[in-house]
Amino acid sequence: MLDFDWNLLLEIDWVEIGEATLDTLTMLGVSMLFTVLAGLPLGVLLFISAPGQLRARPRLYAVLSFLVNVLRSLPFVILLIVLMPFTLLLVGTSIGVAGAIVPLVVGAVPFFARLVENVLREVDRGVIEASQSMGARLPHIVFKVLLPESLPGLVGAATVTAVALVGYTAMSGVIGGGGLGDLAIRYGYQRFQTEIMIVTVVLLLALVQGLQSAGDSLVRRCRFD
Amino acid sequence: MIEVQSISKHYQHGGKTIAALDNVSLQIASGEIYGIIGRSGAGKSTLIRCLNLLERPDSGHVSLHGDDITRLDERALQQRRQRIGMVFQHFNLLRSRTVAANVRFPLELAGGQSPAQMDARVDELLALVGLKDHKHKRPSQLSGGQKQRVGIARALANHPDLLLCDEATSALDPETTDAILALLADINRQLGLTIVLITHDMRVIRQLCDSVAVLDHGRVVEQGEVLDVFLAPQHAVTQSLLAETGMGQGALQGIWRQRVATPVIKLTFVGEPTLQPVLDKVGREVGLRVNLLSGTLSEIKDTPFGQLLAGVVASDVDVSALPAIFAREGVRCEVL
Ligand SMILES: Nc1ncnc2c1ncn2[C@@H]1O[C@H](COP(=O)(O)OP(=O)(O)OP(=O)(O)O)[C@@H](O)[C@H]1O
Ligand SMILES: [Mg+2]
Repeated sequence: MLDFDWNLLLEIDWVEIGEATLDTLTMLGVSMLFTVLAGLPLGVLLFISAPGQLRARPRLYAVLSFLVNVLRSLPFVILLIVLMPFTLLLVGTSIGVAGAIVPLVVGAVPFFARLVENVLREVDRGVIEASQSMGARLPHIVFKVLLPESLPGLVGAATVTAVALVGYTAMSGVIGGGGLGDLAIRYGYQRFQTEIMIVTVVLLLALVQGLQSAGDSLVRRCRFD
Repeated sequence: MIEVQSISKHYQHGGKTIAALDNVSLQIASGEIYGIIGRSGAGKSTLIRCLNLLERPDSGHVSLHGDDITRLDERALQQRRQRIGMVFQHFNLLRSRTVAANVRFPLELAGGQSPAQMDARVDELLALVGLKDHKHKRPSQLSGGQKQRVGIARALANHPDLLLCDEATSALDPETTDAILALLADINRQLGLTIVLITHDMRVIRQLCDSVAVLDHGRVVEQGEVLDVFLAPQHAVTQSLLAETGMGQGALQGIWRQRVATPVIKLTFVGEPTLQPVLDKVGREVGLRVNLLSGTLSEIKDTPFGQLLAGVVASDVDVSALPAIFAREGVRCEVL
């Protein structure tokens, strides 16, 4: 490190870095959006269908829970490859940024849903019971009690998921997904251009830091005291 | 009138079956405050939760003003529950909502009111429980007593015809307890609302209730008007619950019987005689001198009452004549 030649920084193709950054942000933003859209309902479903819960459906829960575990146990690289035909069918391509988004979502949804389930379990049973005693129906309980009461926890879960997605996007280079992680691997690892690797790693670090502190401050803002 | 007809509820626990409620029947008159007391695990919570079917009994019926709610379907039951208020030991307020929004919650569930109507009702309720100034606070910024006031306001929002209180004051200090009990008594008087409350504290029963049922191991072992149960407790559980609050039979009686061995009389005052110098008067008339062994003087709802246990030291008349003499003064006397 000490003999690092700072002039190398000038030779870096900053346009390519810029594009890669944009790709990462696109993949992150779009996949996060779909992850929340699909993961939140799945998490709620897991919570209410669990044995002893509001709409206990032990068989349904067992099936959902198993599927979630299967998806979570697969290494993301494997998921990327296994899902290629499905991605092709869904978005018309299985490569590039668009091709990466499907596996990203499929990888993150079970992760986020499980976090959501756990956050919802923390909601005071007494409060749920109180709303039942007032004649609340299930949709009331979900939208007026469970989700608002656990908002800080849900924001926290989304933050953790977003950070995990940053890690997943780095692997999407395998299918030509692009992005910063891909750049780091192609230049830094395969062509020994350490300087590019350093720059991308610094950018990824900044992204993760930014996500985490944005998430933390949001959680603080929506806490109830 | 609320009628509980032989309800039973069993729980499976570790392969064993526990009878939380065993063939319980109760009749609760409209407009009264009905207390249910018992030791921990006696089945009190299970019983009160059967009154709005948060818990479904395995068998038996619960009817409110003639309607058997155990026959209602899910949707109809939810509708009915909107007019059964419930107050909880741990308040169970929504942390995510302000005081006003918590009270508004049951109105939102019931629907059919404009936001302005709901706000007006919320203000009315907060005034009733004395929380007007705390409208915009969160539950976390309130004291226990204030939280329970929010709980009560919330329970009253949809003009219930029945209010259920599961140990509503057990998490509060004695002074706050008194204030909350006074509020409940007020509500009962002002709105003519039937209240069923659970407690393990005889003082709560004494201060507030008209009738009481004593529950033990899932069975009703004693029930009746509070005054009767206090003055002549029949069951051992009732007696020990009373003894804990200093309203039982004094232990001095035993020592008196061993060392002095003269007769012991029990005097029971209800109402006006409690405020008269009856013992003094009878004492002068028949030369009765007694040594007090234990005594309770208090009031149940607004009726003063007293019960004294006394060892007879001297008497011009035979002890067996005393009951008739005291009866003239409106005081019951028993020779023990
Ligand atoms: N969900 C449940 N599952 C298993 N057993 C239960 C359940 N709820 C209550 N019980 C059992 O039923 C019995 C009565 O419980 P309940 O909560 O009604 O008592 P309680 O009189 O309210 O006691 P406490 O004063 O401690 O609140 C107890 O033995 C309890 O362990
Ligand atoms: Mg209880």
